Amino acid sequence: MTSASAPLPKAPRAGGRILDAQLHLMDRQVLDHDGVPVTTVDDLEVSGPALDVNIEPGSPAPVLTALLTGSVLGTRIFGGRPPSSRLIRIPWKDVAEVGVVVKLGVKGEPLDASWVERWVRDKIIARIPGGRHDPR
Amino acid sequence: MKRLLGVALGILTAIGGFVDIGDLVTNAVVGSRFGLSLVWVVLVGVVGIILFANMSGRVAAVSGRATFEVIRERLGPRAGLANLAASFLINLMTVTAEIGGVALALQLASSVYYLLWIPVAAVAVWLVIWRVRFSIMENVTGLLGLTLVIFAVAVFLLKPDWGSLAGQVLAPSVPQQETAWSYSYYAIALFGAAMTPYEVFFFSSGAVEEKWGVKDLAQSRINVLVGFPLGGLLSISIAICAALVLLPAGISVTSLSQVILPVAEGAGKLGLAFVLVGIVAATFGAALETTLSSGYTLAQFFGWSWGKFRRPAEAARFHLSMIVCLLVGIAVLATGVDPVLVTEYSVVFSAIALPLTYLPILIVANDPQYMHEHVNGRVVNVLGMVYLVIILVASIAAIPLMIVTGAGS
Repeated sequence: MTSASAPLPKAPRAGGRILDAQLHLMDRQVLDHDGVPVTTVDDLEVSGPALDVNIEPGSPAPVLTALLTGSVLGTRIFGGRPPSSRLIRIPWKDVAEVGVVVKLGVKGEPLDASWVERWVRDKIIARIPGGRHDPR
Repeated sequence: MKRLLGVALGILTAIGGFVDIGDLVTNAVVGSRFGLSLVWVVLVGVVGIILFANMSGRVAAVSGRATFEVIRERLGPRAGLANLAASFLINLMTVTAEIGGVALALQLASSVYYLLWIPVAAVAVWLVIWRVRFSIMENVTGLLGLTLVIFAVAVFLLKPDWGSLAGQVLAPSVPQQETAWSYSYYAIALFGAAMTPYEVFFFSSGAVEEKWGVKDLAQSRINVLVGFPLGGLLSISIAICAALVLLPAGISVTSLSQVILPVAEGAGKLGLAFVLVGIVAATFGAALETTLSSGYTLAQFFGWSWGKFRRPAEAARFHLSMIVCLLVGIAVLATGVDPVLVTEYSVVFSAIALPLTYLPILIVANDPQYMHEHVNGRVVNVLGMVYLVIILVASIAAIPLMIVTGAGS
């Protein structure tokens, strides 16, 4: 803890573009490699010191590790916190580009975040005649 | 030449697609009870829908983002979810009303009881959404909906006293047999019918479906600026028809057969045939638009894959949610609830939800990250702010007025 009178040291200069998590990441649409919507960024996972632990000076800054989706949306709206095992993660290394949308560098189809879509497709929609018909 | 044809087609479908069951019923009810003293509200509503449809279309064309993605992103998950719940329920009510409208119009044409037509209408809506290309769907229903021009023709055939009509429009006053409360209530209903939020969801998502880009902005602006006012004139001619025939006879509209009565009187059997085709096309087209809109809002809020340009299997949750909506609509109508009544409530609830939809659009249309150099100009922003105030007043006043007037009765 620094006392109120001592000025805080200047924050280190960040390399590259500065993103505001709330403004540029949260609730943005996530598109996959081919531009197909995967999900919306429901929450973010940040590595870092555990809660209620004193932070040693010189310890590394927390990093963004994953975009979260799934039941975390419900807890973000209504409060609470899902157990870590229930979080659906899209690892940050899969993110290729952050703009008006968050673009992934991988295909969305095999991701965990797409399992409901896959289930509805395989069990219901693809079984209705014409479900795989190309409208164009 | 091809470009000119495209513009003409766009304008025609904008006119034919403007009127839905809400406009039909509300305008006829208002015409039969208040004469032309509320025409000014339609004019205010048409300018509003032009303003915001154009804005949401521009956001979609420039950034590729449809309206509900923008709503979630700007309002956050909590306010966004409240907005989704309200918009989705009103939309579902409108889906129900439109399908009921198709069934009622088919009953008038065939004398087969409307409850039997409801599953037929709903399955037809689903089949079109499942199979037909977006542009074909839009053009066919829009062009067939143009037959509603018969309402305007009927006005001329009824040979009205133009001077007294103009007087009623230019110097509006509350008719003696009505209270100022019910006058205001129906003003809000008409405003809600003209500015229904689903039109904006549909318009912006449609822009994504048809892959509009910056180069299509001019054409979309012409479609809206020319098509919507002419569609508004069509709505007003429905009110004039009711004011000419039903008001003097003391009939206040409670059913679809009364809506088309003036056309039958003015334009005879041929007119009746036209108006029936027109009503089926207009309500069917609107049923498609509202059903798609319920899928669009859900998918865009949760970030699902959506769009008619994809195979249904590539937008599975989007298609499943629309199937569920149609089933819910059928179930509600199967209880025997009067579709006309559902319509009257849906337009007032639309008015209540208007600020939720229009505020985020106005904000994002000013965000250079989305819009680059295509952000709103000053005139558009001033108009947008003025409309936001009007919308807010209408939205706040709607429920108290609904209680005071006993929903306008």
